[in-house]
Amino acid sequence: MDAHIPSTPKEPMMMELLADVSLLPGEDRIIDKDIIYICPFNGAVKGKVLITNFRLYFKSSYNDETVMLDVPLGAISRVEKMGGASSRGENSYGLDITCKDMRNLRFALKQEGHSRRDIFELLFKYAFPLSHGLPLFAYVTQEKYAENGWKIFKPMEEFRRQGLPNNKWRITFINEKYDFCDTYPHVLAVPFESKDEDLRRVATFRSRGRIPVLSWIHRENQAVIVRCSQPLVGMSGKRNRDDERYLDVIREMNHTTKLTIFDARPNVNAVANKATGGGYEGDEYQNAELVFLDIQNIHVMRESLKKLKDIVYPNVEESHWLSSLESTHWLEHVKLVLSGAIQVADKVSSGNSVVVHCSDGWDRTAQLTSLAMLMLDSHYRTLRGFQVLIEKEWISFGHKFASRIGHGDKNHADQDRSPIFVQFIDCVWQMTKQFPTAFEFNESLLLEILNHLYSCRFGTFLYNCESARDLHDLRSKTVSLWSLVNSKSEIYLNPFYSPESGRVLYPVASMRHLELWVSYYIRWNPRIRHKQQSPVEQRYKELLALRDEYLKKLEQLQLTDSFTSPCLSHSPTPNSSSPTSTSSQQFTHLHTPF
Amino acid sequence: MEFSEHIKTANVENVVLRQPLHPPARGTLCVTGHHLLFSDREERGSPQLLLLLRNIDATEKRMSASSGTITIKCKDLRVFQLDIPGMEQCLNIAHSIETLSCLGHVSEMYPFFYRPVDVNLQEQWGLSSPEKLFGQTKEFHDRWRLSSVNRDYSVCPSYPPTVIVPKVLDDESLKKVAKFRQGGRFPVLCYFHRKNAMVIMRSGQPLTGANRRRCKEDELLLQAVLGDSNKGFIIDTRSSQQAQQARMTGGGFESKSSYSCWKRLHRHMEKGRALQESLIKLVEACRDESHNMDRWLSKLENSKWLSHIQTALSTAGLLAECVERDGHSVLVHGSEGTDCTLLISTLAQIIMDPHCRTLEGFLTLLEREWLQAGHPFQERCAHSAYSHAHLQHESPVFLLLLDCVHQLWHQFPLALGFSDSLLLRLANEAYASNYGTFLCNNDQERCTHEVKTRTHCLFKALLKPSERDHYLNPLYEPTELAIWPSVQPQSLQLWTEFFLRWEPQIQHIEEAKKEIKNMISHWGKLVLDDSCSVSLNG
Repeated sequence: MDAHIPSTPKEPMMMELLADVSLLPGEDRIIDKDIIYICPFNGAVKGKVLITNFRLYFKSSYNDETVMLDVPLGAISRVEKMGGASSRGENSYGLDITCKDMRNLRFALKQEGHSRRDIFELLFKYAFPLSHGLPLFAYVTQEKYAENGWKIFKPMEEFRRQGLPNNKWRITFINEKYDFCDTYPHVLAVPFESKDEDLRRVATFRSRGRIPVLSWIHRENQAVIVRCSQPLVGMSGKRNRDDERYLDVIREMNHTTKLTIFDARPNVNAVANKATGGGYEGDEYQNAELVFLDIQNIHVMRESLKKLKDIVYPNVEESHWLSSLESTHWLEHVKLVLSGAIQVADKVSSGNSVVVHCSDGWDRTAQLTSLAMLMLDSHYRTLRGFQVLIEKEWISFGHKFASRIGHGDKNHADQDRSPIFVQFIDCVWQMTKQFPTAFEFNESLLLEILNHLYSCRFGTFLYNCESARDLHDLRSKTVSLWSLVNSKSEIYLNPFYSPESGRVLYPVASMRHLELWVSYYIRWNPRIRHKQQSPVEQRYKELLALRDEYLKKLEQLQLTDSFTSPCLSHSPTPNSSSPTSTSSQQFTHLHTPF
Repeated sequence: MEFSEHIKTANVENVVLRQPLHPPARGTLCVTGHHLLFSDREERGSPQLLLLLRNIDATEKRMSASSGTITIKCKDLRVFQLDIPGMEQCLNIAHSIETLSCLGHVSEMYPFFYRPVDVNLQEQWGLSSPEKLFGQTKEFHDRWRLSSVNRDYSVCPSYPPTVIVPKVLDDESLKKVAKFRQGGRFPVLCYFHRKNAMVIMRSGQPLTGANRRRCKEDELLLQAVLGDSNKGFIIDTRSSQQAQQARMTGGGFESKSSYSCWKRLHRHMEKGRALQESLIKLVEACRDESHNMDRWLSKLENSKWLSHIQTALSTAGLLAECVERDGHSVLVHGSEGTDCTLLISTLAQIIMDPHCRTLEGFLTLLEREWLQAGHPFQERCAHSAYSHAHLQHESPVFLLLLDCVHQLWHQFPLALGFSDSLLLRLANEAYASNYGTFLCNNDQERCTHEVKTRTHCLFKALLKPSERDHYLNPLYEPTELAIWPSVQPQSLQLWTEFFLRWEPQIQHIEEAKKEIKNMISHWGKLVLDDSCSVSLNG
């Protein structure tokens, strides 16, 4: 988490153990108590716990090896009582807390006098505020930042950056009041020649009215990524000429001979969806080819990550680590998502428009379009561009963050919960590993995003869709995560970033080249964590400073002398593409920068 | 020259070369006494392929009436194919390659013919000597001495002529100790820990045998190692069962009764054939072409390579813990004391001693702990993972060391002064080289074959100004602290830069690393040239 709490306090007395906790503006103490934290790595540790309306904070009472916990209540998925008043055995009476962020916490209390009753009830109440009629902390916090992160994404600006509207694509406000499709954003880009009536007719044939709309257009070849939900084909094999015509219009716009429809699901799942009224595009869509990408649904992903948690927390599987890891299938799922996105990006960069959908078009579809866009468009690989990508493809297009994460909701077994967004960030991490100079941001940003995916401190990941956010005045009443990020952006920057606009990144989605993201999934285990993390961060900071100094120098030199020396003009500065070999199959150079 | 006997066809036109990372090319193939050359007919520039025949681990040929294909599998794990027109020519070429790639005589090997223009053979060979090491550590001279008892290699054929031993033992006693240790490898000092005056010793196993023979001088020597301290550790790289069994064949271990101040710790480390087979399995898994790479992780696990790394690192960690944390001297041995013993003493020194983490320090360490200490490179590196030849003494212990160092490099990206491309280079050179450094099995053999006067030294070459830059770690920030590796399987990673090096993706990452390196040096140059305040260490 953040630097609000100094991690190495100087000799706090037992009484003042919690004195050095610096609370966020708007954060209030709820209760504190003597407690024993059953640390899976260090055994039972005596200390004090503090619960506020935002966090659970624990600090051990002995100084020599301070054990500290600082957990946002939003990260808690389940709170249970462990043992009863008559339980025998040491530390058998207490609380068992399951977290959403790959760890569990156990606390033991004195058995006398119902000592856990108050803390259990308060924790339960504040960890799940929505289940108790309380507001999420994002509505309570009084944090102020220099920058307003809500302004990072302006749909019209982003469309203009892509060169839209143009003579083929128009911007429509048909959904301005969210009555056309309540889970879509209020601005949409659609084919120029499709009238609003056409759109309404197509909407009747697409699950939840999520019609095919443009996510991204290739500046040069005008190929597009279009996203939507499944067609409502049903058991009887219904057809809809407007939908067929609409997709063909999309195909014709840049003379794509065959429109590729990527159905993210496994073939069998798509067939099974017919039983519930859904389905997939059949032969009636002439000039279109359908490709199934075999990505499993939210339930499979949830179970896979659960299995991964089982082998990394609290104890990491030692003797058969790799085969256990394999049996979680987590990396295999990551591989399928990445390779699906590669196929999308490849089609588009070779000039063919594509349509991407799954069932509802808000989970796997968001993964595929956003990853493909990250591969195709170097703007999304900058610190701010990445924020735009998340705001656009995930938040505005109705990835159901509230349901998938279960913010403030006590129903831990909710079948709607699933780590789809975590999986996306994992895929991004895999890409940053494979292309160490292609991303302006670093791993810390990805970790920070995932921390706040759960923390409920910012409004960014709250609610399921834009209409719900507007209804609850999210933007005016909460702070955006990007306010925090952009106010201290230096810690999220990759010193080795060297932008090469126009380069398409194709990561290798083979099991041999994918790694488990140990510094996220196993970050709670002190034995796994690399001990030298902080000097590395420090070194990177120095390098960033050095780079800035260098750029300043370079600028001065260029100002004083309009003829830069040949040595400098060929040097690999972060602002000019470096002379790496182009022979590798990994890149395709497009001739016009975006 | 007699190589010509083995070359019936020296040149073939119209050969198609299919190698990783390159499109197929048509050109001329040429076999010489030590090399395989291939060049495009159009270009008169440098050849597309210049391969030491020594690098070839295995060949396979497939014949048809009018042509043949030779698949060549190299010790650097590259696999490529030559389509050769004409069956006879193809058979001739294949025959030459097979014969010349495993010539047995050391003096026929390429390092004896390699004569780069910019260096002459008069240059001093190697970086260090026991004399130099001893000279650098004056503070220990009251208890240690340099002995030339092995000056003619008669006491221990695999030791260098001079070694560091406790002062109290004279050369006659050392000779007696040598008779009591396998291969004559009496305990010698390999590391002084300046912080607490503790040392690491290494040796061969004691030849106690079934009737529990003792050797007074050996006990005296170890007692002298302890000095004032009353406790030392012996790390035996065999399980205690294996150590017991060794007594049946004349070997053994230091018994509690005879060496009362020494505590034995047994850590079973695989070596020899088990290690070689592990490498073969790993490389097989890495080359699995099946489409979905089904069960890659299981195959990686089944190769056991990573668990060998884990054992090596954790045993080295144990050794370093004894010396650095607990403040005890340690003797390390297994049976011969030429493989795992060297592996863990080397790793422990890197963990503890910042000097061993610099480029020069690391190469010096390798010279001392592997070359001078008598790791039999010629036997161990005769073949690599592809060879069908009957395995004899092959074992990738040195490769395992490099991989372990790579793991350290990965876990402590700032702490090592050299780059991981050095490790890759060393992995190549150990198996096939222009330089004489890794020839022969020990110092005595190198002396016999005049390696130090008739070949060039790799380590010297790596430290030349033109080369050394390439092998420096741009992020290096020296630390005096010990670097304790995490040995959890989750912290260990496949050394993709070596094992998957012929895949385009790895090449791409290597290029990115180069780019990063250039960036840092550019920033540094411009900023520091103007003496700005930002400092760039290393």
